[in-house]
Amino acid sequence: MQAGNGISKGELKVRGGKLVKCTLSLKGGKIESVKFTGDFFMYPEEKIEELEKMLEGIECTEEKIRATAAPFFGSIDLMGASVDDFIAVISIAVKNLKGT
Amino acid sequence: MKEWRLLIHGAGDAFTNMAIDESLLVSGRPTVRLYRWRPSAISIGYFQGIEEEVNLEECKRHGVDVVRRISGGGAVFHDEHGEITYSLVAPEEMLPKNILESCDKICSSIAGGLGHLGVNAEFSPLNDIVVNGRKISGSAQTRRHGNVLQHGTILIDPDIELMFSLLNVSEKKIEDKGIDRASKRVTCLKDETKKVGENEVINALVSGFEEGFGMHLAAGEMEEDEIMRIDGLREKYASREWNFKR
Repeated sequence: MQAGNGISKGELKVRGGKLVKCTLSLKGGKIESVKFTGDFFMYPEEKIEELEKMLEGIECTEEKIRATAAPFFGSIDLMGASVDDFIAVISIAVKNLKGT
Repeated sequence: MKEWRLLIHGAGDAFTNMAIDESLLVSGRPTVRLYRWRPSAISIGYFQGIEEEVNLEECKRHGVDVVRRISGGGAVFHDEHGEITYSLVAPEEMLPKNILESCDKICSSIAGGLGHLGVNAEFSPLNDIVVNGRKISGSAQTRRHGNVLQHGTILIDPDIELMFSLLNVSEKKIEDKGIDRASKRVTCLKDETKKVGENEVINALVSGFEEGFGMHLAAGEMEEDEIMRIDGLREKYASREWNFKR
């Protein structure tokens, strides 16, 4: 996952699970903002906003995203999606950006 | 035998319905609430993008309200004439700690209730009830204040065509389900049984909850504290800030 600038969307159907989507804004290879949407379950729900905030400003590489996201997911319950799916959907958004 | 409260609420608007469910969640009194929506409405899951999921123009044209829930999960069409909604509230310790197991317990109770109508329904993880593989009910659960709220729809005779004109169903959503149209995934009580009168359905659901939880449901009313919270919560659910936050 290596990216530059622009806004892009990613969508992922988790096999046997739920839909995870994201809208990603990149600037200079860093995440300017990211918003996750979908029909998954996360407890407590409001924590999603914390995750999105935490990812702002970090380099958009799988390694950096995982380093930030993995500890976050350690303290919450997810149903219908996994940490890997949240990372993968960013990856899909990056690929879609390259394709434009 | 344990006694839980039964609230039969009839039809309310989307914002009031969601305000009442949240108010019951705050109080945590063991409760089953059965209600309808007037006007018809779409409720979307906490994490869903409103514009991604809902054809807002069509909703406006048909006078259908749209509200964001405090629970996750997917978008649901609450047809004024063809659906009944349940909500179940209890302290966390009265349900399995594991969320999926608790969803199984609640949905299996409902499926047992539908059995009284001659419908062979079963829980389908993560959050559906199906009849011969087709969805007849979807649910969503949230946990706050040490309490659990699970609410969900039971399709009686919804306008399926209208439903799918109001919802933007992603093709990805059904790509692993082995079917080509989302509408084929859905069934309703009218297609499965002749027993679809409102009272018949309510009685069946009440029996299902009582048998599944080994409790008695006693008709009751909302308490003062629960009523007092409704106006403030309704304001939140009717606000653009809440509904368009994603």
